[in-house]
Amino acid sequence: MKFPEYSSQRRFGTLTEALLAAPQDRPFITDWIDEDEIHTVTFGEFAHAARLRAAAMRKLGVKFGETVILVMPQGIPLMTTFAGAMLLGATPTILAYPSFKVDAAKYKSGLVGVSRNLQANFVIVDDDFPAELVSHVSASESARVVRTSEMSFDLDDSDFVAVTNSPDGLAFIQHSAGTTGLQKGVALTHRSVMTQLEHLAEALAITSEDRIYSWLPLYHDMGLIACFMLPLVYHVPVVMQSPLEWVMRPGTMLELISTYRCTLAWAPNFALQFLARRVRPEDRSRYELSSLRALINCSEPVRAQSMDEFIAAYEPHGLNRNALKSSYAMAENVFGVTQSDITGSPRRIWVDSRQLAQTNVVVPVPSSAQATCFVSSGRCLAGNSVRVVSPNRKDLSDYEVGEIVIHSDSLFDGYFNRPDLSAAVCIDGWYWTGDLGFCAEGDLYVTGRKKDLIIVAGKNIYPQDIEEIVSRHPAIHDGRVVAFGLYNEERGTEDIVVAAELQNGVSADMKEVERNIRDAIVSELDVAPRAVFLKPPAWIVKSTAGKPARSTTREKLLHEHLELA
Amino acid sequence: MEEAQFREYAQRIIDYVVREVIGRPVELAVDTPLVSSGLIDSLALVNILQYLEDVTRMRIPASKVQPKDMDTVALMLATAQRVGKPRK
Repeated sequence: MKFPEYSSQRRFGTLTEALLAAPQDRPFITDWIDEDEIHTVTFGEFAHAARLRAAAMRKLGVKFGETVILVMPQGIPLMTTFAGAMLLGATPTILAYPSFKVDAAKYKSGLVGVSRNLQANFVIVDDDFPAELVSHVSASESARVVRTSEMSFDLDDSDFVAVTNSPDGLAFIQHSAGTTGLQKGVALTHRSVMTQLEHLAEALAITSEDRIYSWLPLYHDMGLIACFMLPLVYHVPVVMQSPLEWVMRPGTMLELISTYRCTLAWAPNFALQFLARRVRPEDRSRYELSSLRALINCSEPVRAQSMDEFIAAYEPHGLNRNALKSSYAMAENVFGVTQSDITGSPRRIWVDSRQLAQTNVVVPVPSSAQATCFVSSGRCLAGNSVRVVSPNRKDLSDYEVGEIVIHSDSLFDGYFNRPDLSAAVCIDGWYWTGDLGFCAEGDLYVTGRKKDLIIVAGKNIYPQDIEEIVSRHPAIHDGRVVAFGLYNEERGTEDIVVAAELQNGVSADMKEVERNIRDAIVSELDVAPRAVFLKPPAWIVKSTAGKPARSTTREKLLHEHLELA
Repeated sequence: MEEAQFREYAQRIIDYVVREVIGRPVELAVDTPLVSSGLIDSLALVNILQYLEDVTRMRIPASKVQPKDMDTVALMLATAQRVGKPRK
């Protein structure tokens, strides 16, 4: 059954109104810890817990309009505290929780950087949050750091009356993706979020039969908006697990989708490839993925090869190949800008990459192994517009590659407490994304990040093309490759530098591996790298989203190899 | 965990860390700090945690493991005992 109201008029004015109007007995969050520990709450139970937490926060002194930082493990208590803060009219924001997988020094500096900018009066951490990290939460001078055990939940507070939020009041602050510490706050009103969700629900044709699966962290827009706010407003159940559990056991994602008959999920491109390559073929027979109607590839450039590998691996296990979708989304726009057609597969265009590198214009060619394939990110959501512009800020035509700039009815108006950063990217109501791409027949194709583009003697080389070629070498850890450009004063152009992690326990001839990699790059892209560095496992720096962080890895490599300077 | 079993498990994990993660001969004891001393990168801990599960035949919910729980081999084994569940 479709919600009849979603496309014609807004169902609710605020997120809190939507939560409190939810059917009490409808399941909301199922938090899967492992086979023996599964917590499920209905919308009624969730709202009740959120009320108790709102009352507890009020007793602690949290006031309407105050920013509240939440540093808690992913799970229902974090989500009810987030909702409780909104019921109180405060502005919650979720920061990443320390994980054994993230370097402690990097985590500390990130925590300092992000929390300093928020200047919150309240920071809520769970009881296991390491005491030595508390001092790294940099808040205002009068700030109070509260452990969840200090919050008193009194059942008499179940009649806590939520404040009436205004649609134009702040709902929460989310952070742009990036390496921890470089993340920028995006403060969003209820109206912005509700507007975005309305467009998203329409594009996805959300129905009451849907069920979302997610392992995505709630401190990123994909996890927070698509997998928490969207189901909260449209009263759709969610099955979730922690990102760490997923990394440890990627197949559990497919197991949960199969068991709970989930219909919608979002994942960054690397996750599809990881699932196709990491889950052993003999383990796949237990999956039955026919319930999935949309698995949306989002948050990084969509790669045809990753989608094809995923389809090849899981089509025999019930996956409908048309269920693979794509989207272009960012925290600055609340979430989605485009979405591929919900009834079919994203469009594809094949191009001669050598010609594209020379001219910056896409000339479609017939599909072939030699041609580069670009996958569409779909069409603009209602209320969203996209332009593609040249470096001298002229609008480009279809098939011409340039910077993507966006405008929408849910667009932010600047980074939280950072007018310096905002002025450079928010111009006349348009947001300059720093992403490169082109439009073709109404679809948007994202080709890469402007700052990552390598220009070698006038040729535009996308680092991800090099990274994909290098990743294919059997001695290289898949996805653990970074390519970047380094200006060569003598030549007056950029050189290509590659750092690639070796597989654990590999015993190949390193000189031969390097030679193979060089040959493959030259043969496919017609450019030769200046240097290829083979590094031990876990050498490459990762972003908070788990992707190789190009700029930080570049700094690390330059620091270790002074000869490159 | 009995002393003999602890020693056996600890030795297997030490061998794994030296062979698969560090990749060169290093003297490791059960209480040698691994991440905080810079001997290994925290990202390698995902593989070590998976190996810890294999050695102890336990299932360890990753979300219940804190950074400090994995800094030495002794701490890893204590963590497996604290939050691990027998594998099915």
